Amino acid sequence: MRGNLYLQLIGVFAPLSLLSFGGGQSIIADIHKQSVDVFHWVTQAQFVDLFAISRAAPGPGALFTTLIGWHVGGWMGALVASLALFVPSSLLAYAVARVWNRHGDKPWFSQVQRALIPLASGLILAGAYAVLNASSGGVSIWLIALAAAALFSRFEKINPLPTLFVAGVAQALVQGWAWK
Amino acid sequence: MEQAEPAIPPNESAQAPVPFADLVLLFTRIGLTSFGGGLSAWLYREVVGKRHWMKDDDFLGALTMSQVLPGANVINLSIYIGHRLRGGLGAAAAVSALLLPPMVVAILITIGFQRVGDIAWLHNFLEGIAAAAMGMTIAMGLRSGRRALANGRWSVGIIAAVFVAIGVLRWPLIPVVLVLSFVSLMFARGRP
Repeated sequence: MRGNLYLQLIGVFAPLSLLSFGGGQSIIADIHKQSVDVFHWVTQAQFVDLFAISRAAPGPGALFTTLIGWHVGGWMGALVASLALFVPSSLLAYAVARVWNRHGDKPWFSQVQRALIPLASGLILAGAYAVLNASSGGVSIWLIALAAAALFSRFEKINPLPTLFVAGVAQALVQGWAWK
Repeated sequence: MEQAEPAIPPNESAQAPVPFADLVLLFTRIGLTSFGGGLSAWLYREVVGKRHWMKDDDFLGALTMSQVLPGANVINLSIYIGHRLRGGLGAAAAVSALLLPPMVVAILITIGFQRVGDIAWLHNFLEGIAAAAMGMTIAMGLRSGRRALANGRWSVGIIAAVFVAIGVLRWPLIPVVLVLSFVSLMFARGRP
């Protein structure tokens, strides 16, 4: 059973590793589909909780995958899921780093780069939409997200931590009142 | 896979290589202190600004590469920096130092959260944080969208197609990305 789970984790995350253009955000929609709808590793509420923890905790947001692996398979599950997501793209990045100095300024490279920018953009926005849609927090979730988007677009260099904290408090207060 | 190829020297001048321990310590520290993300900016400040391990152009070129390639940007960037400074081992050490400590921390936080996970306000608090983090993501998506627009209005079509196919219709990622990157490359080639 365990071996089967590890194979499933690898089967889901290893291909996504090479498709995560624009960073880990771009594959969140598909991670959500696989881990909630297809394999039932986590419920929607757990998915959102784990996502929030991976955002609130230090380190790259890609550690979200580590938490899903941990949730379904303990420490080994965390390790297997992480390696599945990180190793394929890392090997590719390593190979590219080696040839970068030889081909970095050739025209085909900037062409490929230009072609991938709109894909990254669309995937990033789709990922945000999928997470917000999965949340059980009601309209206030969307309002917080849009307000934060406006704030972070306007002030690109502010420390995000105070904003994240205020957003958490705001959502807790709004939902607390709505409950009563 | 590994070929015995000498690592690229840290820079053109005959400078002593960056001590391995310094490399590991820096990436560990950044991995553990970067609440809320922004890791690439941390790396830039330390590696280029403070320590002069790499030049501006070199770092920014690597950053661009990291964004184009699949995988988390900061992981790809760390691989490049580690490779540039200390070869293949340096790349492996940089990524491990950046990832392993926060992995353990994130799991410990999750364990702590599960003990108190029934408390409704805590769940709401975390959902609020996630919503604001998604706001940050939306801001990033809009900024890259503006950058894409600079290359031609066809970019809007690609962005919208990706968003609808993946986000709304929830089509499988792999064929959508393969088909649309081909379409996008055709447009990019059409406009030099």
